[in-house]
Amino acid sequence: MYRAVQYDFGSDPHVKKSDIKRRAILDTAYRLFRAQGFDKTSMAEISALVGGSKATIYSHFPSKEELFVECMMAALENYLSGTLKHLEASRGDPEAALRNFGTSVLNFICSPEQVEVRRLMIAEAARSGTGKLFFDKITALRTQVSAFLSARMESGKLRRDDPELAADHLGALLEAEILEPLLLQVREDSPDEKETALAARRAVAAFLRAYAPAVQQFGSLRRPKQQRTEKRSEKSTVG
Amino acid sequence: MKTKTEAKRQAILKAAAQVFREVGFERASMSEIRTRIGGSKATLYNYFPSKDKLFFEVMHHAKALELRAIVGALNPDADDLKRELLRFGQKFLAVLYSPEAIAVRRLVIAESRRSDIGKVSFERATVPIEKQVAEFLRKAMKRGALRTADPKIAAIHLLSLLESELLQRVLLGVIDTVKPDALSGVVRRAVNVFLSGYERR
Repeated sequence: MYRAVQYDFGSDPHVKKSDIKRRAILDTAYRLFRAQGFDKTSMAEISALVGGSKATIYSHFPSKEELFVECMMAALENYLSGTLKHLEASRGDPEAALRNFGTSVLNFICSPEQVEVRRLMIAEAARSGTGKLFFDKITALRTQVSAFLSARMESGKLRRDDPELAADHLGALLEAEILEPLLLQVREDSPDEKETALAARRAVAAFLRAYAPAVQQFGSLRRPKQQRTEKRSEKSTVG
Repeated sequence: MKTKTEAKRQAILKAAAQVFREVGFERASMSEIRTRIGGSKATLYNYFPSKDKLFFEVMHHAKALELRAIVGALNPDADDLKRELLRFGQKFLAVLYSPEAIAVRRLVIAESRRSDIGKVSFERATVPIEKQVAEFLRKAMKRGALRTADPKIAAIHLLSLLESELLQRVLLGVIDTVKPDALSGVVRRAVNVFLSGYERR
C-alpha cells in the first residue's frame, strides 16, 4: 500500500555533490516525517542525522514546510507511477480495474503523511506557490486516469464524453466519503483497507452508472416501473 | 478579569465582520477591530484569543447559515428534479466559492491540526448540510424520481460532484475566486452526471 522512496546515492558519477547532499536530506527527512510526524520533526534533528550544518539544509530547503512538501511529493510520484502502470495494464472490465485503482489511491491519500501534506498545502496556499506545485502533480495523475478512461470510451465500454471531466468526477466520487473527516481531524484513525474498498466500490458503481454506454438505455427504458433492482446493466444514462 | 458579556461579544463579532468585509482576512488586524469597539486590546483578546478564532466565529457562522438556508430551500415536491438541483447547485457553489468562504475553509483545514476547529466546523456545517440534502434525495427516491439507494451516500456523491471541477484549484490557490456566472457550466455537468448515476428511467 505504501512504498518508501528510495534515493540512489552516488551510483551515477555525473551526479553533483550538492545533489547527493540534497537527496540525503530528503531521504532522512522522509524517514523522520513518516516516523514521528511533521510537528515533532525539527530541521536541527534532520541536520544532525545527515551531518553538516543547519545552514546547509536551509541552503537546499528554505523552510521545514518546503522540505516536507518536497519529500511527500516524491512519495506521491513514486507511488502513483506504480499504481498507474497497474491501471494501464488492465484489460477487459473497467469495473474491477477502477475498483482496485480507487482503493489503492484512497489507501495512499488517507495515510497520515498525505493528509498532513494536504493540510499544509492548503494552509500555505495563500502565501506560497507550493499549493500550485501540488496541484500540478494531481493534474499529472488526472491526465493518466483520463487516458485510461478515454481508451474505454473508444472501445465502447464507457459512453463518450470529455475524459478529463470524467476523471475529475471519478476523483471526486472516490474522495467523497472519506477525505473531509480526515482533513478536519474529525477522526484520528486512518481508514482500513475494508473501509477504503467499500468507499471505492460505491464511488466506482456511481461513476460507471453515470458513464455507462448509451446502448444500455434501451434495456432500462423497457424495465417495469415497480422493479427496483440495483443491477448496473439495467441502468441508464442521460446526456 | 472582568466578566464577559454576550452583548460585548456580539459587538466584537459585528465590528470584526465589518472589518473583514472591508479589507479581507489577510489585511484585517486586531487593532483595527479594537479601534471600532473601543476598550483595551486585552479585553478583545479576552473574548477571542486570535484573529483566526475571531474570523472563524464571524465567517464560519455566517457562511454556514447561508448554506443551510440554500439547502433548506430545496423543494422535495418540485416537478422538475433536474431544474431544482441546478438551481440549488448554482446558489450553493456561489456561496462556497466566495472569497470569504474560501478563506474560512482554508483556515479550518489548517487549524484542525492544532485545535478542534475542524470538528466544530464539521458538526456545525458539513453534517447538517449532508443530512438535509440526504432527506431531500430520500423523498425524491420515495416518489420514484431517483433510484433507491442509500440517501446519505447519494448526498455525499452529489455534493462532491458539484465540487469536482473547482475544489482543489480553489483550496490550493490555483484560482483565487470564482464568479457566480462562471459556475453554471460546472453545475450543469455535475448535476447531469449525478442524475445519470442516480436517476430511474
